[in-house]
Amino acid sequence: MSKSTIWQSFGQRNQSEAFEELGQDEFRDINPGEESGEEGLLDSKTPRRDFLKYLGFSTVAASLAASCEIPVNRSIPYVNKPASITPGIPNYFATTYTQDGDVLSVIAKVRDGRPIKIEGNDMSPITGGGTSARAQASVLDMYDTARLRFPARIVEGRAEEIPTFDAFDKAVGDAMTGLGTAPVVILTSTITSPTTKKLVGEFLSKYPGSRHVTYDAVSHSGMILANEASFGNKALPSYHFDNAKAIVSLGADFLGTWLSPVEFASQYAKGRKIDENKIGLSKHFQFESILSMTGANADERFVHKPSETGKVALALYNAVIGAAVTGVSDKVKDGIVKAAKALKEAGGAALVISSSNDTNVQLVVNAINNAVGAYGKTINWGVTSNYRQGIDSEMLTLVAEMKAGRVGALLIAGANPVYDHPAADQFKEALAKVKLTVSFNTKLDETTELCKFVLPDHHYLESWGDAEPKSGYQSFIQPTIHPLFKTRQWQDSLLKWSGSDKDYAIYLKEYWMEQVGGQDNWDAALRVGLRYPGEVPMSAGNFNAGSLGTATAALSVAPKAGEWEVALYQKVAIGNGSQASNPWLQEMPDPISKATWDNYAMISAAAAKELFEIDITKTGDTDSYDVNPAKPMVKITVGGKELELPILIIPGTDKRTIGIALGYGRSEKAGIALKEAGKNVFPLATILNGATHFAAFDAKVEPLSTTYKLALNQVYNYYTDSLGVRRTEVVKETSLANFMQNKEQFKHERDHLVEEYAKRSGDYRNEGSLYDPRLNDRPGIHWGMSIDLNSCNGCGACVVACNAENNIPVVGKTEVLRGHEMHWLRIDRYYVNKPGGDPDDLSDVVFMPMMCQHCDSAPCENVCPVAATNHSSEGLNQMTYNRCIGTRYCANNCPYKVRRFNWADYTGADSFGNNQEGIISDVTMNMNDDLVRMVLNPDVTVRSRGVIEKCSFCVQRLQEGKLNAKKQSRPIIDGEVKTACQSACPTHAIVFGNANDKESMITKSREHNPLRMYYALEQIHVLPNVNYMAKIRNTDELEVVAEGPGEAEHG
Amino acid sequence: MSVLKYESAVRAPLVDGSKSYHQVTEDIIRPIETTPTRLWKIGFGIAVVLLLFGVYSVYREVTYGIGQWNLNKTIGWGWDITNFVWWVGIGHAGTLISAILLLFRQGWRTGVNRAAEAMTIFAVMCAGQFPIFHMGRVWMAFFVLPYPNSRGPLWVNFSSPLLWDVFAISTYFTVSLLFWYSGLLPDLATVRDRALLKWRKRMYGVLSFGWTGSTKHWQRHESLSLVLAGLSTPLVLSVHTIVSFDFATSVIPGWHTTIFPPYFVAGAIFSGFAMVQTLMIIVRKVLNLQDYITLEHIEVMNKVIVLTGSIVGVAYLTELFMAWYSQNPYEGYAFFYSRANVLSPYGWSYWGMMACNVLSPQIFWFKKLRRNITVTFFMSVIVNVGMWFERFVIIVTSLYRDYLPSSWSTYYSPTIWEIGFYLGTFGLFFTCFFLFAKWFPVIAVAEIKHILKKSGENWKKDQDNLEQKDVKEFEDVMAH
Repeated sequence: MSKSTIWQSFGQRNQSEAFEELGQDEFRDINPGEESGEEGLLDSKTPRRDFLKYLGFSTVAASLAASCEIPVNRSIPYVNKPASITPGIPNYFATTYTQDGDVLSVIAKVRDGRPIKIEGNDMSPITGGGTSARAQASVLDMYDTARLRFPARIVEGRAEEIPTFDAFDKAVGDAMTGLGTAPVVILTSTITSPTTKKLVGEFLSKYPGSRHVTYDAVSHSGMILANEASFGNKALPSYHFDNAKAIVSLGADFLGTWLSPVEFASQYAKGRKIDENKIGLSKHFQFESILSMTGANADERFVHKPSETGKVALALYNAVIGAAVTGVSDKVKDGIVKAAKALKEAGGAALVISSSNDTNVQLVVNAINNAVGAYGKTINWGVTSNYRQGIDSEMLTLVAEMKAGRVGALLIAGANPVYDHPAADQFKEALAKVKLTVSFNTKLDETTELCKFVLPDHHYLESWGDAEPKSGYQSFIQPTIHPLFKTRQWQDSLLKWSGSDKDYAIYLKEYWMEQVGGQDNWDAALRVGLRYPGEVPMSAGNFNAGSLGTATAALSVAPKAGEWEVALYQKVAIGNGSQASNPWLQEMPDPISKATWDNYAMISAAAAKELFEIDITKTGDTDSYDVNPAKPMVKITVGGKELELPILIIPGTDKRTIGIALGYGRSEKAGIALKEAGKNVFPLATILNGATHFAAFDAKVEPLSTTYKLALNQVYNYYTDSLGVRRTEVVKETSLANFMQNKEQFKHERDHLVEEYAKRSGDYRNEGSLYDPRLNDRPGIHWGMSIDLNSCNGCGACVVACNAENNIPVVGKTEVLRGHEMHWLRIDRYYVNKPGGDPDDLSDVVFMPMMCQHCDSAPCENVCPVAATNHSSEGLNQMTYNRCIGTRYCANNCPYKVRRFNWADYTGADSFGNNQEGIISDVTMNMNDDLVRMVLNPDVTVRSRGVIEKCSFCVQRLQEGKLNAKKQSRPIIDGEVKTACQSACPTHAIVFGNANDKESMITKSREHNPLRMYYALEQIHVLPNVNYMAKIRNTDELEVVAEGPGEAEHG
Repeated sequence: MSVLKYESAVRAPLVDGSKSYHQVTEDIIRPIETTPTRLWKIGFGIAVVLLLFGVYSVYREVTYGIGQWNLNKTIGWGWDITNFVWWVGIGHAGTLISAILLLFRQGWRTGVNRAAEAMTIFAVMCAGQFPIFHMGRVWMAFFVLPYPNSRGPLWVNFSSPLLWDVFAISTYFTVSLLFWYSGLLPDLATVRDRALLKWRKRMYGVLSFGWTGSTKHWQRHESLSLVLAGLSTPLVLSVHTIVSFDFATSVIPGWHTTIFPPYFVAGAIFSGFAMVQTLMIIVRKVLNLQDYITLEHIEVMNKVIVLTGSIVGVAYLTELFMAWYSQNPYEGYAFFYSRANVLSPYGWSYWGMMACNVLSPQIFWFKKLRRNITVTFFMSVIVNVGMWFERFVIIVTSLYRDYLPSSWSTYYSPTIWEIGFYLGTFGLFFTCFFLFAKWFPVIAVAEIKHILKKSGENWKKDQDNLEQKDVKEFEDVMAH
């Protein structure tokens, strides 16, 4: 019997008061507020209102204390507003882009006194408003921090300022008088300006024995001399690719870099556009050693070694005149027979061109053109071209004279032979022997560095001037901004030094007033920027076959060739390197290789297999080669000169040829963008019979075990994947023969989607969706774009135009290597092979411009947690940068992978201030310099770190167009607004407009091409607003049509 | 034979040894009251170092940009979201053990539920770092909250799975925290009552919310536990379902898969149990709690691992089958080329996943191996490595080669700061766990006492004693 106490807690055991109290209340519910007894709620220690006060105060205090200080930029208004400037409203000035003889009539857009964008001049009969990547990028050259900012004496490679122009004139004048009778030589690249030529003549007449030497880094002297022999005219004719039904190009990259690519691209595209009701395509044969952009667009392509160029030309001549074709490989022979047949059948609508600098080859080409009746049909001697005037041998003579000390003064304008002459060492040596050397170049480039004086020229956007690209066709240059620096046009210097008191602007005006007749006419001419004759009758010229015999005899003996040969070529963006310091051009991927910031050795798939045992037909090998940016290197030895370069496998390169781009490896002094950008291969060029040949016929190639990282924008090259599946929903292309046999093939694939997913209504757009179809009713404007893959040649003008218009940051090589490039618009390039075929035997190369598709059922829009990207009522997929928090979910979910993320503070727009030194590349840092930032378009937000951006269909232009229409109380007119890519395109491959307008170009483009029209990845039902037109290449090759339409599941 | 003498023939005792209530309290609460051991100090030190490295990694990423990581235009998510899903998955076991097993009245859960719940909370905390700091502008992270604002009708996007994540994870975290803390109250009161130092008494007094052990408290406590268990149970299933929606609702081949919700949940339980195993095996050893966390526990959890591992395996095979059966070339490419092909750039991760998640857990069909502590520990790590691979496979191998071959990515490998962030979350996790083990009872003392009567040597001894007693004495003893 025990009476033990049972307890649960000490309180209970001790019977404490507190415990008793608790026990009493244990099962009583206490109402809120009751515990405060008789006192009211407000009398408690912290009443509710106080609590709210404290809460409010502390929140405000915390947020004030925590708020970041954002850098403040002050803008100062005009005190007296200039009459011509309304802040926020751009002015447009017609002017002319000129560089090394390239001439393009352009319109400069000037916002608040700053030129910010170059557009083509639609009135130009030569280009039809098209532009090139280089012209688009040229505006950035003006804001280049490496530009020389004052007249200077060069001391040990540095520019020491001479305080005034007068002092400079005196220094040079003194030096000139000290020369005695030694002649003065003016060394320039091709001058197309009539007034400058006149001026040079006047200047030279003041200095007896003096002369003007035209030196083109990549000249056409072979052609000019051949024309002199064939036609007695030391000039270049006009070409009309639009008139040609059969085009044979012997190595000429006429769409990318040869002579006048924008003009030719626009002509060529006319023969390549397809009217589905009346299909007619020009036929283009390309014989070349490496895969050029033009070759990529050709219908049929044949490769040969560079040393065989002469034989190929000769063989084609023989085929055309019906003689036996010999001396070339069987494959090339087949091609020549085919090409000759096409040329003859074209009835004069045929054109043969060659990029060779060998006069003999050009003589044979002239003979072929004569034989097929091209003169007067596709080649016009009535209008001559002035793009290139340099004769290589003249330069060699000059070097010899300089070496011999027979040149007293050398004035250099727009030429850089120390960098780009094959015998640059000799030129350097010779330069040192000239007493007075004055450079008018704008930067401290390789040649300027070795001169004694420099008086930097204006940028063309700061200059007065004129150009005559073709005889009778003039284009004017007028300044768009007051010169940024203490620079002077070199024409002014010539005037001054020849004792004239006029400045060049007056000189120019007087000259043209006389030509056009009066101030009013001159004003009008300046306003449109152009002057051209009416219809000029075609002239065939007087062909004289006199020198053909010696030419054929010379060509039948092939030059001595080694095992490997090197072909040197110009890249579409970089060209001969004179604009290489432009970061936009450096970052623009090469159309073929998709590489940026470097040159490299392009080798064929077969050569890669032989040298490195990389077999790109084996998926394992392609993966390890493709995914790794570190590419194996080769050592190339040409005539004792050694060069180590990384390789890039470019299918379709001749097996024994290595292609290397010119224009790289320049001195860093001429711009930060040149730092470590490739190697200079001008020294590898061969000088033969006084002409420069951009090839080396005897090279040694050794594989090395080292690697080098190449920054590529696209690493995978086929739309056929390793499982043999053709991603036909992405790219649609076929041969003409196939298309004619089965015209419905592309349409059928689209119809199949309707059968599968919209059986009831036949409306795939609405029935294929779970959402209410009424959501797809979009009245008013509905923007759309149509891109013709048959017209697009991949030139990249649109890419640079997009960069300029939309303030797209340049990220530099280090960031491109990491897949961080920011381009809103890219051109995808796919190689097409026959299934299981030799990878070097390309059936086609497709260029596909890819930007935001502005899907009406956009997968990016619904995944953004904060609704930073959404759809406008006009069909635009919009980005709200302010709202974006940077989850990158939208970029992941974009099937087209067009969204770009700001991985770092590329634009200096971040609230963290400037902390990116060493994080972003030097080039990007330089792009954020106050000077370079002047190129930014004020209508487009500069994006900060951590936000997504992408193509906006140039929404700022759309808004401007709509506002203008609204002010005039009218609907927007079709074609009134153009996107930057559309207006830059030389081939009009891009059509843009309101798809709800039944009369608009875009609607017509879609309705008139039902057989070729398609949307990329239509089966996933994202409803893009950008459509493509399938590419049809003009070959008679028939492929087995894939069984049934696309098998792809509905997304 | 007495009718009272009862010991289950099928169930092993839940607590080994002969323990009195007092002894249970002593065993479990003692480590809290003594100076931490050397082992604890070393472990804690390492954890803090990792945490600081993680903080620095995140600092770099926030100040210099996401470019501090090696993600690119094609692979927008890499280690960040992989780690997020991995940690969320781990955070599943705790609530499953405490909530679902509570509802199913699984007595064995009491030995491990406290630590498992703590693990859940810490894992979810770690997981939460990734979606927050993977943002390009983390200082604007509050935009994901639907708060009333002065920006007109601007609202969050309720159709975004990422927003669902915000709600799912914050709800899950809140409920788990409440559940865990409400379970802690009686034990904290015990610590308070045993405390000798004034500040300890005060601190645990505050932390235990004035728990007195009154009947009313117990009544409310039990009701709350049941309510929270009821709330948590659907959450266990919903959180990972919603996380899987991040992928399943997208258009990317390899993500766009209807199987994801069940597959993710199974995977989460799989990895969660593996993590519980890893921790429990360490804890029972370090804190000498072998009697409370017994081989039985380990075996039971191994059974769950082999079951969920096999479910995951079936899911993997189903995916492959569907990729073939659908004849969708894009999906086919993602599964057969990018993943199942061991020679493809990321083939290793797929086969690593298969080996770790599907093949290796099959050893737990053998009882001997299920009860082997070394094997279990090793396997628990392997499973979590495998589950990391799984998330990496899903995220990266789907993204790096999707629709347009032109955009296929170059090789992705993380930077030191990306790895640092991951290590930092380990630091955070273990720092929290060490602090938890130091300041809180790692086993639910009160709950263990519930089951003590029904198991253990003590119980048997009591029964024997009882038989010797007369009716009067029996009444006295059994009345209370």
